[in-house]
Amino acid sequence: MEGFDPLPWAIPGFILLVLAEMVWARSKAPATYEPRDTLTSLLLGLGSTLASAAAAGAVAGAAAWLHQFRIATIGWQWWLWIACFVLDDFNYYWAHRTGHRVRWFWASHVNHHSSQHYNLSTALRQTWTGFIALSFIFRIWPVLLGFHPAMIVTVGAINLIYQFWIHTEAIRRLPRWIEAGMNTPSHHRVHHAINPLYLDRNFAGTFIVWDRLFGTFQAERDDEPARYGIVRQLGSFSLIWAAFHEWVAMGRDVVKAPWAAKPGYLWRTPGWSHDGSRETTDAIRSRWQSRHDELQATGCQQSRS
Amino acid sequence: MTGPAIQALVSLAGVIALWRLCGRFGLGGDVRIRDDEAAARLASESLDGFHAVQIGIDRAGIGAILRDDLGRVLLLRRHGVHFAARLLDNHSGVRLDRNFLTITTDDRHFGVTTLNLGPQAQVWAGSFRRLGG
Repeated sequence: MEGFDPLPWAIPGFILLVLAEMVWARSKAPATYEPRDTLTSLLLGLGSTLASAAAAGAVAGAAAWLHQFRIATIGWQWWLWIACFVLDDFNYYWAHRTGHRVRWFWASHVNHHSSQHYNLSTALRQTWTGFIALSFIFRIWPVLLGFHPAMIVTVGAINLIYQFWIHTEAIRRLPRWIEAGMNTPSHHRVHHAINPLYLDRNFAGTFIVWDRLFGTFQAERDDEPARYGIVRQLGSFSLIWAAFHEWVAMGRDVVKAPWAAKPGYLWRTPGWSHDGSRETTDAIRSRWQSRHDELQATGCQQSRS
Repeated sequence: MTGPAIQALVSLAGVIALWRLCGRFGLGGDVRIRDDEAAARLASESLDGFHAVQIGIDRAGIGAILRDDLGRVLLLRRHGVHFAARLLDNHSGVRLDRNFLTITTDDRHFGVTTLNLGPQAQVWAGSFRRLGG
């Protein structure tokens, strides 16, 4: 599968932009970066590149094998590239949403969220275990429609490059027409936030329309500044722990759980437990919402009296 | 040496250069818990629904220990320029040394936290027995 992979060409741009953001942070918001956190993020990025390179052959093999069962043969016209990009972005939305809602996939994706910072180095904080989690299945099925595997690889890489620049606090809001259709720094800050209102929202890659369409959109609110990370913050800068902590935790849960409950720790929402001793993001948001509604109702009553 | 190996080494050098630069630029910061209000806010942000009713802040402001209206005890400690928290569910990892309370949580990667709570350290240490062992 000889696709054009624009990712290596984008890396110098990534480095320059991280540098530019550091210069911005130096004068405007020094706490945007923390050296140890940045080092962990960048090393996770490097490790992810190596892991992806190691798995590329197997993924390519799977895609090529599936391609022989295609129902049509789709060509290389420019508009087919656009169609492929849109379809891949749709697939990304579902892969990403599943990555947050199914613990097996979350174990692989969580390290992207494990920083309490939100900057361009966070964008590079990528998984080492995507191949093991089999996340690529969400992205390669269009070969069955007849899209060439190389086309899918190329549009997937462009999608990934697009998502780099949105990991920043340096850009507040873009013009309304861009915010309406595209994933932006503002929308993606919400995605990385752990405020109950923002939990498990804005899964989009490039087009935010998927979230609007499937009911997972949440606009960033000025009265609710985003706090980043994961619900149970890692509290460690260890590279290896950041890469594998959720796999370890999931493994321990599976071992300890009664037989009937074991599969639940793999496929249910993160935070689920068979004895109800933990909380999912749905439970956290719903409790926050009831408290928030109650407070608002009390506020309204007080202002009337 | 092969092409990919050279590429990986160059990338590693780039990573180290950016990390060093991050330090050179003085990025990061020295965050401290200034008062009870700040500690309570950090605790409720760390654990939604945690309403602190008793608060002990480290003399240097690098951490705090809080109890909520449900009797839960939360350890807050500095992590870079942010704070991270853990609920304590037993007293087996708590050691008292005069004004210092050293707390080890079930999560060894979270590390050991020593808080200087002044004379309050003994009161907190005593109250941990309620958590069980």
